[in-house]
Amino acid sequence: MPLSADYIARETATNLWRNRLMTIAAVLTVAVSLALVGAALLLKQGAANAENYWQRGTQVTVWMKASSSPSESHAVGSELKQLPYVHACSYHSQLADYREAKTLLSPGEFQALTVKTTPASYRCTPNQPQYAQAVYNRFNGQPGVLKVSAPFSQIHTMEETITVLQWVFLSVALVLLLSAGVLILNTIRMAIFARRREVSVMKLVGATNWFIRLPFMSEGLIQGLIGSIVAAAVVFGLHALLNSLANPNNPGTVLYQMRLSGWELFGTDFVVVLIGVLIGSVGSAMAIRRFLDV
Amino acid sequence: MIRFDNVTKAYKNGTVAVRNVSLDIQKGEFVFLVGPSGSGKTTCIRMLLREELPDRGRIWVAGREIIHMPKWRVPYLRRNVGCVFQDFRLLPNKTVFQNVAFALEVIGRPKSVVESQVPQVLDLVGLSKKRDNLPSELSGGEQQRVAVARAFVNRPLILLADEPTGNLDPGTSQGIMRLLDRINRTGTTVVVATHDAALVDWMRRRVVELDQGTIVRDQARGVYGIDANTGPVPRTEVGARRS
Repeated sequence: MPLSADYIARETATNLWRNRLMTIAAVLTVAVSLALVGAALLLKQGAANAENYWQRGTQVTVWMKASSSPSESHAVGSELKQLPYVHACSYHSQLADYREAKTLLSPGEFQALTVKTTPASYRCTPNQPQYAQAVYNRFNGQPGVLKVSAPFSQIHTMEETITVLQWVFLSVALVLLLSAGVLILNTIRMAIFARRREVSVMKLVGATNWFIRLPFMSEGLIQGLIGSIVAAAVVFGLHALLNSLANPNNPGTVLYQMRLSGWELFGTDFVVVLIGVLIGSVGSAMAIRRFLDV
Repeated sequence: MIRFDNVTKAYKNGTVAVRNVSLDIQKGEFVFLVGPSGSGKTTCIRMLLREELPDRGRIWVAGREIIHMPKWRVPYLRRNVGCVFQDFRLLPNKTVFQNVAFALEVIGRPKSVVESQVPQVLDLVGLSKKRDNLPSELSGGEQQRVAVARAFVNRPLILLADEPTGNLDPGTSQGIMRLLDRINRTGTTVVVATHDAALVDWMRRRVVELDQGTIVRDQARGVYGIDANTGPVPRTEVGARRS
């Protein structure tokens, strides 16, 4: 049987208009929940980008004791250069570190330092970020070594914060998505109830089951689609806002390190719209299965 | 055109609505199903539309056995069986034209067919001038005419009517019967379930009487009750009388 697209479009529009308050509620709930899902996805991808950025620049510093002998310092230096997983190493003398400390420390703290008490250091970049731990294990506690430092804890704390935020966003979004699905289900149920006379006449004159179901199916689908388009626009706006706040002249900021490419944004928006359509379809399919007797 | 073969139907509460009913209705016949309330008339109509399934026996409609028909084929069966009810079942927010057109639209008929068929059938039922009225602006008789037009617009092989004059005065009821008669003359088989004795007596068509789910009389050119002139008619005589 040729399905009349014109008829289905007209009936869907009539249903949406008749149930407009419920429709608005369902669309808004879908929009809010999917905006949260989108934000969580942006955060996840941003975190992955930032993590890459941090790991690319991971530097391990082997601090030599101020009292270490030249032979101890030389031994550490030559061993570092021979390690296959260390990409490059540079030696910073006590004087060089003293000068650097001057720029980094407050005058009060710096006053306590002298060139002789300042430790010399080897600054090394491993081939892969995970080898930083191997350098740490190899040299920490060796003769003449004061300590080995790498920004493990900072990266870890940042990653943990982002993971927690991401889970909070996703949990709230999941609850909201569930309520959006239930709201769509209820909207379709009300539409079925409002049109029960028409449905009974349709059955009587020989409309196929799909013909009866399709306007209700498309109603749920459209609610999900509109909600998800609103959410995708919110995600787009959020991305633009964060990008404008990320100053390219200051690449050290987290916002800059987390920034996403156009393709990543497109992918996120695509997923958001897909989830919206899915929620709308599943909600209406469940309502039809449960409440529409054809 | 319609055949019941030893059909029995009982409801969940134990009421036996139809008991061992066997009945043949030929193409182009006009048949009254009569009997008191609860005698099984409506159950027979509902079974012909496959809204109910019998517990035993088989039913053929338009050459097809409908009991074992897959569910997806039922809508196609209903396109060959128009139906009219006592309560009209019109859509209150649609005009006369839209109510009739709805029956064609929902089975996917193209707009050109809708635009040519609906005016024809409205002309047949005498409502051409009221095509833009809402059902609430029509009398009961006119509303039933719209219902008949909707049932007939797809030119079904069979037209079923369940108490079509139950809500109408005698004069209007006769008008509806004349209309059903006109439709019958086009070759459509018409089955009317009624307990309107005056109409049955006036029409003098085949009468099948049900009592507590059983056929107790099947009479060609019959009346509602027992005919004073001919007396009770055994079922076996029906074929001879009809011919």
